[in-house]
Amino acid sequence: MDTALWTLVLYLILTIVAPPIFYIVSVLIAPKKPSRVKRMLFESGQTPIPARVAPFPIEYFPYVIIYIAYAVFAVIAFIVVLDMLRSSESLVRGLIILAVITAGSIYASTQLPVLKQRLERGGRG
Amino acid sequence: MIDPVQAFVQVYNSMPPLIQELIRFLYSEPFIKAAIFPGALFSTLLGMFAVWFERKLFARVSLRVGPLHVGRVAGILQLIADAIKFLSKERIIPEGVNRPLFVLMPCLALILSLLLYAFLPFGAGWIIYPSDIGLLLFFLVAALSPIPIVLAGYASRSKYPFIGMSRIALQLFGYEVPLFLALTGVVLSTRTLNLEKIVEAQAVVPLAVTQIIGFIVFIITLLAETERLPFDIPTAEGEIVFGWQTEYSGVYFLMIQLAMFEKVLAFCFLGAILYLGGWLGPPIPGLPESISAPFWLILKGLILFTFVALLRGAYPRLTIEKVLDLGWKYLIPLAFVNLIITAGISLISGYSAITL
Repeated sequence: MDTALWTLVLYLILTIVAPPIFYIVSVLIAPKKPSRVKRMLFESGQTPIPARVAPFPIEYFPYVIIYIAYAVFAVIAFIVVLDMLRSSESLVRGLIILAVITAGSIYASTQLPVLKQRLERGGRG
Repeated sequence: MIDPVQAFVQVYNSMPPLIQELIRFLYSEPFIKAAIFPGALFSTLLGMFAVWFERKLFARVSLRVGPLHVGRVAGILQLIADAIKFLSKERIIPEGVNRPLFVLMPCLALILSLLLYAFLPFGAGWIIYPSDIGLLLFFLVAALSPIPIVLAGYASRSKYPFIGMSRIALQLFGYEVPLFLALTGVVLSTRTLNLEKIVEAQAVVPLAVTQIIGFIVFIITLLAETERLPFDIPTAEGEIVFGWQTEYSGVYFLMIQLAMFEKVLAFCFLGAILYLGGWLGPPIPGLPESISAPFWLILKGLILFTFVALLRGAYPRLTIEKVLDLGWKYLIPLAFVNLIITAGISLISGYSAITL
């Protein structure tokens, strides 16, 4: 195997054994006296109210859409930026993608403030 | 008088071949790089030092003394005492959590944070895995690191971790795009993804000068990606207890904290490599270049870390809407402006000179 790859594999092995080492040390020196109170969820000393899973707040949904568009563009730009600079054709293509994404995200950001009211209206109707 | 070298050779020759092989392995370049510098031992010690350093610095900012009693000088052994304290706490897995995820995610977070160091060069040749796409590999690992955090918050099945988790998902994913775009500017102006070549390209002037907008965007996204104040709304102690880490204690909490500090430091070193000229610095008389180079890089990285830690004492926390507005409405356009300026300069400064 080539030296650099072998070094990476060794380092990977070392990083993977690090958490088990912590865990084993903890097993060796930590006390073990389980009780129900210790296992309760955090509620500032009160009895926990079992409201555990809630839906993701919908107000931020447009951000997700913008994220998906821009993340893809950013990754593409990161990889092919040198090629874009070299040939004008791929630069134009890159700019078209950017224009489409930007148009979509501007629409999404204008919808952002009114989204909650629209959803509530939709729910009632 | 016995010559120590000769004595060692004699002992070495009298050993069984298997042990000879082991000694040769321990002395080999891959093992030293992976286990000592810049590998496991160095990154772990650095992470522990950073915890102590940040506590001491933050204490000074708020007119306190900070760690004092453990260890002779300035409470230097406080970090070891803290580690032992966390390891000797009972491992509590609360009722109703998703057990496999709850236990595995801190481990995965630590592994991913440590793995970042595999792609960071600490001097010419001082790198675990030299690669022509080093920057891309670093970001492959960095882009995976929000996943264990979000899953750890989800696995807790409790309300404070849930609130923290939804905040961190919005924050981390939102700041990834400006980060990518800021780095695209670096790639564009140096025309390489190889981190060692990026440092060499800064021999005349560091990129922090020519890419000043990109550098500002990078620093702000660094703070947000690593949850430092003023962007620590996902953990927000005093508001939502401790955010997505609320249900974690003992060894799991230690792993999460170590992972977070390793990540901050890895990003600080990346910032020093990309924008502050990396290991380039005036030669130190009496020291060979192979030692002075890592020294300069570690110094620059720690200066950047000091800046990041000082912000903790200077700024209040932002609300999540403001965090998202800053990321989407200001940083992404700024990063694009930086990219366009860089592209313009590249085009003017010589179209024909572009070679990969």
